[in-house]
Amino acid sequence: MGEVRMGIVQCFTLAMLFELGTAMVVNLGVDTGKDAWMSVLLGGIAGVLPFIGYIYLYRAYPDDPLSRYSRKLLGKYLGGLVALLFILSFMMMAARDLRDGSTMLVMATMNRTPIFVISLMMILSSAYVAHKGVEVLARTSLLFAVIVMLIGGFCGLMMIFSGKINLLRILPLLENGAWPVLRSVLVQNYMFPFGEMICFTMLMPYLSDSRRGPWVIVASMLFSALLLSLTTVMNLSVLGADIVARSPLPLMPTISKISISDFIQRLDVLVVMVLIIGVFFKITVFYVAALVGISDLFGLPYRTMAYPAALIILFLSVMNARGFTEHLDEGKRLLYTVFPVFTLALPALLIIIAALKRHRSAPRPD
Amino acid sequence: MSAETSSKSGKTVSGAGEGHSRAAVVRGISEELAETLDRIAGELGGSPDLKMRKLLIGTAPPVQAAVVYISGLSAEDSINDFVIGSLMKVNQAREQAPDPGGESLMEYVMERALETGDARIKEDWNDIILAVLSGETAVFLNGYASAIICDTRDEEGRAIDEPTTQLVLRGPKDSFVETIGTNITLIRRRIKTPKLWFEHLTVGEASKTDVAMMFIKGTVDKKLVDEVRSRIRKIKIDAVLESGYIEELIQDKTFTPFPTIYNTERPDVVAANLLEGRVALIVDGTPFVLVLPAVFPQFFQSPADYSERVDIAILMRLIRYGSFIILLFGPSMYIALTTFHYEMIPTVLLVSLLAQRENVPFPALIEALLMEGVFEILREAGIRMPRAVGQTVSVVGGLILGQAAVEAGFVTPAMVIVVSLTGIASFAIPAYNMSIAGRIVRFGYMILAGMFGFYGITLGMIVTIAHMNSLRSFGVPYLSPFVPLSFREQQDTLLRLPLWFIRPGTVSPTRSGENQTDQGKLIDSGHEDNLSPAVQAKGKTGLLDSTEE
Repeated sequence: MGEVRMGIVQCFTLAMLFELGTAMVVNLGVDTGKDAWMSVLLGGIAGVLPFIGYIYLYRAYPDDPLSRYSRKLLGKYLGGLVALLFILSFMMMAARDLRDGSTMLVMATMNRTPIFVISLMMILSSAYVAHKGVEVLARTSLLFAVIVMLIGGFCGLMMIFSGKINLLRILPLLENGAWPVLRSVLVQNYMFPFGEMICFTMLMPYLSDSRRGPWVIVASMLFSALLLSLTTVMNLSVLGADIVARSPLPLMPTISKISISDFIQRLDVLVVMVLIIGVFFKITVFYVAALVGISDLFGLPYRTMAYPAALIILFLSVMNARGFTEHLDEGKRLLYTVFPVFTLALPALLIIIAALKRHRSAPRPD
Repeated sequence: MSAETSSKSGKTVSGAGEGHSRAAVVRGISEELAETLDRIAGELGGSPDLKMRKLLIGTAPPVQAAVVYISGLSAEDSINDFVIGSLMKVNQAREQAPDPGGESLMEYVMERALETGDARIKEDWNDIILAVLSGETAVFLNGYASAIICDTRDEEGRAIDEPTTQLVLRGPKDSFVETIGTNITLIRRRIKTPKLWFEHLTVGEASKTDVAMMFIKGTVDKKLVDEVRSRIRKIKIDAVLESGYIEELIQDKTFTPFPTIYNTERPDVVAANLLEGRVALIVDGTPFVLVLPAVFPQFFQSPADYSERVDIAILMRLIRYGSFIILLFGPSMYIALTTFHYEMIPTVLLVSLLAQRENVPFPALIEALLMEGVFEILREAGIRMPRAVGQTVSVVGGLILGQAAVEAGFVTPAMVIVVSLTGIASFAIPAYNMSIAGRIVRFGYMILAGMFGFYGITLGMIVTIAHMNSLRSFGVPYLSPFVPLSFREQQDTLLRLPLWFIRPGTVSPTRSGENQTDQGKLIDSGHEDNLSPAVQAKGKTGLLDSTEE
């Protein structure tokens, strides 16, 4: 039995691709207008706080995924229920991201392909990689992180060379005071995309370096926050806050502004590529987290449930909403009601119990 | 072999006389010379190339003896001079010898008479037959249930020639031949250290092919050697006629287009790999030597990289990687661009492309599959083409077919350019099996691109890379040292750093940089791929994925 391990660099890139995922292309922190980039950055920093809590749990149970220590902490039945809820939520998130990604792809390029076919292709590739295991997923993320960074660097350079960036468009800073930014952080930006890091609690047992590993993930979160913030600055300074607020995928029109001597132009297909890679890794991380949970909770071999779970995610993604508007609407409701339960409330409960347990079992001086 | 006859000794002769009808299963040989000779002749079906020279050894009383060999396999000159000749002289020699009394005639012949380099006494019937069949000479003496085997093998073979598949402009021009002995010599000549060890293994029920496992003691990982040995021992096959048989039977995972064992016919490449701690398998009867473990970047290295200056070598290597990318993505990118993403193409070019496409009835995917298919046929035909007509056919195939296909409105000129570019790119890859892998995967990408454009290509890319990441060659991750990333080992992968920079002993295929666990993981994963993520269950069972594929 070979041990499955994620190296440090690999877990950095996996967390980075997971964070960038869909967040890179969609409109983050719209309601803050010109200061969206600040709310993204602050959201990243705020998102680290719950993650530090997850690290506390990981330190207490370095070999167990969330689904196992929840049972150790809450007892077999209650803990099992919590684990099951988490597994369902991971599958739900995977399904939502699948729907997001497929719809965006349809909007961006493939407007005559049925969304079901696009989702099917995506989940099949995802299933293949998930079937190969966590290690392969992490290793694959390394190469694709390099590709994404290269594309990003290239597009950034081209953008600068074509002289479309006008930083005056993001001035004045904090036009309406600090409150809208803070509000946006508290309501939304701590959660998307940074709160979704809860699924890494299922993958952290695979870290090869349990001491530095979690902090590498934190570094990766901060780095992605910086990248997302930079992207938002770029969108705002190229398009202006008005257009950004009105476009669903602002990065696409931004990148398509690049034009160098009429030869290098219409690079938005590169954005589509980044989108595909990001969505893929986001779905697959959720999916793998769910699989690890299933195999742990029900004592099934990891691989047997790979394809059934893929089917469940696929149909969830297709059936959870009749249209994209409904899907987005539901997303907003989930963002305020369900997701905080999973990213904040339940982990907080576990942390408190773990702390009490550790306190009571600590050797007493007598 | 039944249990009662497997008692391996020559002293079963008493039973051998009666049990003559069961000769095939009796492992000992008879003391009666005539009986033994009959049995050999019978077992080989009285083959005319089996030579049995009977003679009398002139002791008092004279002893009947026989020299058995197969003409053609053995060096008859040396049999005449050193085996038969020395047996004939036993008479005079034994009388002059100071104390002939203590030893038997067999020992005397063995120790004092025979003038061949290698001689040993064998008692097992199968060993003797095998020795005779491999060109050695068996000497039987009447009254002894054993034979002396003299090494008189004639390594008749092709002369050492220039390599035909891995050409370089500058570098050694010798290549392996079909005889294992010569091949071992070629390597030994390059590495003159006593630490260059080789182990002899035999594979194949019928062919009994010699396989030499070579490695440098101290440089190589001992676990690797053990694993290779055990995998070779597990092979059950009738005949091994080429090293490809061994490759297929010992590789980690069979269901993949990518080669996980390197093969070469260049002794300098094998020597370099041995020095880097790899194991070489030399199989008798083929000039292609296997080198393992093999990782992806290795298939893009060429011996010329080290004879040219660094800057040139780096450029050439990057060109090779570039050609692999062109080979994989060339036609599929073209299909995706012309079918889905016109907007990427600069307008002027787009207009001319569309003008070309106007006359062509097929969609770009069909057009590309057609042309690539024709190209594959041409390439396959080219291998089998007699040399005299080869030139003509390639002109007919390449030029006329291409030109005529365009004029007849089957394909667009741009497609011909793309197809020939991928064709040429596939020849820029030094390892032929890697280029075949690229050619196969390319078709998958073309279909994906035809159906989904860049979306299909990107997904295909993710799946391909995940697949490559799941591969291991004898425990070493296939994409290392890229993934897992190791900066220390990047000195000879994408780039080639100057030789003074590559410190001796830092390049090791079994060392993986940042991911320390891989080292412990090496080999113990065994034959299967063991990538299922199982959380270490502490006292819990049923979580571990014990079902391997």
